[in-house]
Amino acid sequence: MSSEKVEEYLEAIYKLQSPDRPLGTSELGKELGVAPASATEMAKRLQDKGYVRRGKKSGITLTKSGERAALELIRKHRIAERFLVDVLGMDWQYAHEEACKFEHIMSPDVEKRMEALLDNATTCPHGHPIPDEQGRTAPEKVRPLSSLKRCQTGIIAKIAEERRDLLEYLATLGLMPQRKVQVEQVAPFDGPMLIRVDGANYALGREIADKIWVKGEK
Amino acid sequence: MPLSCHGAVNELRGDTDYVFALAGNPNVGKSSMFNAFTGTGVVTANYPGKTVEINVATTRLGDLKIGLVDLPGTYALGAVSEDQWVARQGLLDGKPDAVIVILDATNLSRNLYMLLQLLDMGFPTVAALNLSDQARKMGIDIDDSKLSRILGIPVIPTVATRGEGLDLLLAAAASVAQERCEHPEQRNRRQLQYGSDIEDVVTALAADVERLLGEETFGVSPEGLALLLLENDKQFVELVREASPAPGTAGVSGASGAPSVSPGAPPKGNGHRRRHRHRRGRPGGAELLEKVRSASEAIEAEHGEQTPLRIIRERHGLAGSIAAEVQRQTHEHELFSQRMWHFTTAPATGIPLLIGVLGFVFAFLFIVGEFLSEAFSSLWAATLSPLIQGAIHAVFGEGVVAKILIWGPDAGIEAALAVGIPYVLTFYFLLAFLEDSGYLNSVAFLTDRIMHKLGLHGRSVIPLVAGAGCNVPAIIGTRVLTTKRERTIASTLIVLVPCSARTAVILGAVAGFAGWQWAIGVFAIVAALIFVVGLGLNKVLPGESTGLVMEMFPFRMPSLKSIAIKTWFRFKDFIFVATPIVLGGSLLLGLLYETGWIWALAAPLSPIVEGWLGLPSVAGLTLIFAVLRKELALQLLVTMAVVQYGPDASNLLNIMNPGQLFVYALVSTIYVPCVATIAVLGKELGWKRSAAIVTFTTALAVLIGGIAHRVILAVG
Repeated sequence: MSSEKVEEYLEAIYKLQSPDRPLGTSELGKELGVAPASATEMAKRLQDKGYVRRGKKSGITLTKSGERAALELIRKHRIAERFLVDVLGMDWQYAHEEACKFEHIMSPDVEKRMEALLDNATTCPHGHPIPDEQGRTAPEKVRPLSSLKRCQTGIIAKIAEERRDLLEYLATLGLMPQRKVQVEQVAPFDGPMLIRVDGANYALGREIADKIWVKGEK
Repeated sequence: MPLSCHGAVNELRGDTDYVFALAGNPNVGKSSMFNAFTGTGVVTANYPGKTVEINVATTRLGDLKIGLVDLPGTYALGAVSEDQWVARQGLLDGKPDAVIVILDATNLSRNLYMLLQLLDMGFPTVAALNLSDQARKMGIDIDDSKLSRILGIPVIPTVATRGEGLDLLLAAAASVAQERCEHPEQRNRRQLQYGSDIEDVVTALAADVERLLGEETFGVSPEGLALLLLENDKQFVELVREASPAPGTAGVSGASGAPSVSPGAPPKGNGHRRRHRHRRGRPGGAELLEKVRSASEAIEAEHGEQTPLRIIRERHGLAGSIAAEVQRQTHEHELFSQRMWHFTTAPATGIPLLIGVLGFVFAFLFIVGEFLSEAFSSLWAATLSPLIQGAIHAVFGEGVVAKILIWGPDAGIEAALAVGIPYVLTFYFLLAFLEDSGYLNSVAFLTDRIMHKLGLHGRSVIPLVAGAGCNVPAIIGTRVLTTKRERTIASTLIVLVPCSARTAVILGAVAGFAGWQWAIGVFAIVAALIFVVGLGLNKVLPGESTGLVMEMFPFRMPSLKSIAIKTWFRFKDFIFVATPIVLGGSLLLGLLYETGWIWALAAPLSPIVEGWLGLPSVAGLTLIFAVLRKELALQLLVTMAVVQYGPDASNLLNIMNPGQLFVYALVSTIYVPCVATIAVLGKELGWKRSAAIVTFTTALAVLIGGIAHRVILAVG
């Protein structure tokens, strides 16, 4: 069993596990593109190695050491993405696939040097936090776009809106998670905000700006 | 003349060699291009119930006669907003031989988004790289031949305002159209690709589309349909669902009488129908949707993001990377027009400027409008009016019939001249200027907060202020608002805004005879009413006010030609709608007046006029005539008072006290708008809403007038 394969599994389990519903081998197999039987087989081996627990009700969950290993991998992945985008100038849509290969071959030394080169960046180009060496991630602070002041920027974290029409309309304008916004002007008396996204200026009413949550940029 | 879109587009197809559609984001110079191509002879078409319009016209390229469909400017082609719906429907119904997409070179990435959508759907497409001169000034250098290679379509740099590149563009569109005609299978070739996970799914689903639906893919390519379904596009999901024969009728659907639908066709579309080709016994649509659902779930599980949003993100990503690849920033230069933003939107400078501009609009309408109004009226009285009167007398003699008939063409046309041309034309000109320059958006930005309380947003300020000049153009000006709810609220409030004619009554009757304090009182009460009615309507009307999401365009020097064309088209619309109603209304009033039947109305009205409002009955009668033109209220009051009470009554204080004049002016300001306003309300909002507004304002006027009467009596 190659270590790369183990890593892929750990990463997938980390992404898929949730306290709300148990993770089964079929879902895991689907994520990794393998048959449920091979996922079951692999889960058994990971259990033997002490990386995962398997329970009838709880499904597959990572143990402490499994989680450390997964976070280490995610850290490498995100540092690699950042490196590909910031240093090599790659477009971030394609950086993800490339980083999937990097994450398995980076030694801790390369990883630290890259991180230093990137000024210890805290998020990947998509806006997800990069875990530190102990696997800790700084809790992401999100706040409404409406709380930003003139000239401040943020990355959209989520848009708390139920209406699909509006969500999609905003998305076609480029207002969607992981995109960068800059506040250009704020109208008086809690009026609308003038923001800049991707080279275009939009005026957003306060009631919409309240629903757009942003996180800080490094 | 408004036509249904179906009709207008089909008519266009009949006698042209090609039909091209013009598509693009708002404010990229699409109208300038359309105007440059076409000049006059433009037909405006509406889909039933939609306010966003499509313009249709023809142009020539060598020997070819080409039909042009100008779609509304939109950011995308979804089904999420009215303008997008209309644009897409125009494409699906018009089945253009080529779509000319106008790209704003100064903001390529955002503009490419819609182009990618069109390519996804399989439309034969040509791109015009417009505003390339501005982009160069801003230091953006775009390699158009590289862009053309990447997109796999012709890309022609243009400067629409100066007509540069337009012939090349038409020629490119014609060759694309020709090629598509010879190789229709090209529709199914998408050159650009999203991420492999999405593309694999799209390829698989496109195969399913062909297998399950056969040739019926609702005017888009199979891959395009697959993407639309993955995007969970309401309209196409519905169409596909309907393409599935109900259980038990499988195999007979073609003849089952189930209406065959062209996408979103209005129910009464004229004969534009297609037949579904269901294969016998295949539950096509439902099976396809099932496949889409599971594919979509897989994508969602993979990316932790809903599939429609994922696809939007991919499309943005692709647009962004194409833009990055073809453009180079040679130097950074912020244009003057961009710097203007800071000035017009910063509170310290923007608000004084706004007050200045609104004051200017008001004053311009008031002064220029009134000047023109009087000029036209006296010109009319001096020239054509005697001719018409002479003609009518010559034919009908001197009797009552002739007198009635004179009311129609004579008084009617004079009313149109006194209101229509001076105020409406002037306002349209101002509005087109403010729109085209981009300043309207600054106005909306600064006033959004206050307007929001009334269920409106910032864009409604201009029509409301314009209402003080004349309600008619102001109501047409509410087209800048997007929802029917907003337009209803704004129109109701505009009707309450005292226009120049009503101001004349307030000043003439109240300030002139009772003192200026009383006149200010009338204005204060009306202003308070507007605010209260706005708050109330916002609470009462179903739906909620949409938040403001508006692109702030860079300032541009508007071209006089495009303003003139815009002004003329809107004005033409007004003439055709309002004039017949004004003429009809005039005839009716003439009948009442000349036959003396009007006095018969005095008795039934007296409980309201005398009992509730405390006014002499003659005053009530003049209010009826003021429906024709509000300033008539005062003139007629004097005339009819003299008829009934003798010459002394020309000083109104001899028949009414200051309190009565106050109530009279208040009622005449608030109640039913004039006949031209009613006509425009009917056209813009539909007759039901128009009737509701008329009823509401009349009731409000009577209520407020009665209360004012009692308060004045109580205070003494």
